[in-house]
Amino acid sequence: MKKYLLKFLFLMSALLFILPILSTIGMSFWQEKLSLQPWIDLLLDTPVFYKMFWNSMFYASVITILELCVATPCAFGLVTSKIRGKKIIFMIYLILMMMPLQVTLLPNYIGLREMGLLNTRAGIIFPMIFSAFGIVVLHQYMLNLDEAQIEAARLETDSVIKILMYVVAPQMKACIIATSVFLFAECFNMLEQPMLFLKEERLQNLTVFMMNASGYEGNVLFPASVIFLIPVSILYLYFNDALEKGIKL
Amino acid sequence: MNKKRKKIRLSWNKKCCICMFPAIIGTLVFSLIPFIRVVYYSGIKNQFDTSFALFSNYERVWKNEYFRIAFKNSVQLILICVPILVVIAILISLILVFGKMQKRRIQIAFILPMVIPTAGIAVIWRQFFSEIDNIIPVYLLFIWKNVGICIILLTAAFASIQKDVYEAAYLEGANSVRRHIYMTLPISAPTIFFTTLLSIVNSFRIFKESYLYYGTNYPPDYGYTLQYYMNNHFLKLNYQNLSASAVFSTLFAGIVIAAGMSFIRRFQN
Repeated sequence: MKKYLLKFLFLMSALLFILPILSTIGMSFWQEKLSLQPWIDLLLDTPVFYKMFWNSMFYASVITILELCVATPCAFGLVTSKIRGKKIIFMIYLILMMMPLQVTLLPNYIGLREMGLLNTRAGIIFPMIFSAFGIVVLHQYMLNLDEAQIEAARLETDSVIKILMYVVAPQMKACIIATSVFLFAECFNMLEQPMLFLKEERLQNLTVFMMNASGYEGNVLFPASVIFLIPVSILYLYFNDALEKGIKL
Repeated sequence: MNKKRKKIRLSWNKKCCICMFPAIIGTLVFSLIPFIRVVYYSGIKNQFDTSFALFSNYERVWKNEYFRIAFKNSVQLILICVPILVVIAILISLILVFGKMQKRRIQIAFILPMVIPTAGIAVIWRQFFSEIDNIIPVYLLFIWKNVGICIILLTAAFASIQKDVYEAAYLEGANSVRRHIYMTLPISAPTIFFTTLLSIVNSFRIFKESYLYYGTNYPPDYGYTLQYYMNNHFLKLNYQNLSASAVFSTLFAGIVIAAGMSFIRRFQN
């Protein structure tokens, strides 16, 4: 009896965790009574929403792909090269990863201002590509890389790029997927950078739209939230296996 | 033969070093070199009079009433919220790893909030807690969102414990609660400490949750954290105050991180 009670309580707490998501979906079909009005308001009468949704998708995908292209070789170099000071480089990245965003924003802002990249898409993308998260997570996973395979591959080819693509990447599959999902979710969720680095509405992303959504016609907040949740939820549900195995810190 | 081999190894090593260049150059250009500027700004009087003022900017920031409220709230968040979060995560992970039930599906429910964009959930949160005017809704949002990563790390650590460790305890008739308190938790202590440190670090980043929940630059006093202080000075582009508080926050975060890391290191040895 006690066992069943515990089991029931545990299931209820799991349900409690997804309750906010379920109720967001429920509320999007509600306007005094069951209705599609919020969805019509959003999809037909708020064209700016589409623009911002695609901006969000664009930023998140571009940043994720480019960061992987930059961070994987760097993590590989940090693990395999034999130079003095690589531990210090890794420590710097570890500390950078743990720094609050508000601290890194000001240096980013100053760097972007010098280069005239404020209020451009590149200004959002560049600082995020070089964020430390990807390097740290990939590095920790690469510590368990099968070195014999790399040695064997080096007899065949002299190109680091080929070895990275055909020997390292397959071994790292779970980690690369997990890192990508996290990066995508992180960029999809970004608020401070577009808010502070961008002035024009046409460049803003969905998070900023949600901030200002009370200013638009009708009851668009809930359906917008639902659409906001869809891309990351799909990614997570599809890749949840890799997500749990690919993170070693 | 030997000579040739050495030559190849050298060039391979160089190639590996070159691999790191793009990321390191990017980090230097966008973060580290500008950070030196931030330190410089925090020491000068203002943009037009660049004579050094040493600590007067810091003093002004430290004496500011709002900065103090913000600092107090940030510390309070670490002291109250992080322990609760870690305890909840440990309990859930224990049940997930050692309980006898369909755990895959249940685990998904606990981890999903981690990837959910905050802006998509802030609306329903405001609806749920519209009557409450204290900090608890923000704390709950923080716990809800951060339990996932803790569970991923903890379940991995718990699942990797060898089963025969428990056999002696079984024979002595220790019940499951005692078994976990005296065996599971001490064995995975390094992971638990790391999870705690990670949660503290994540508590520095609570601004987004709080900002989307309150929907304003000026939340009630109990919700005002260091990040609000910096954000508001950012909008005013008050470089001197901003730089001083950035350096101050960097030091604060740096000390907490370094202390945590060295504690874990020492514990592992």
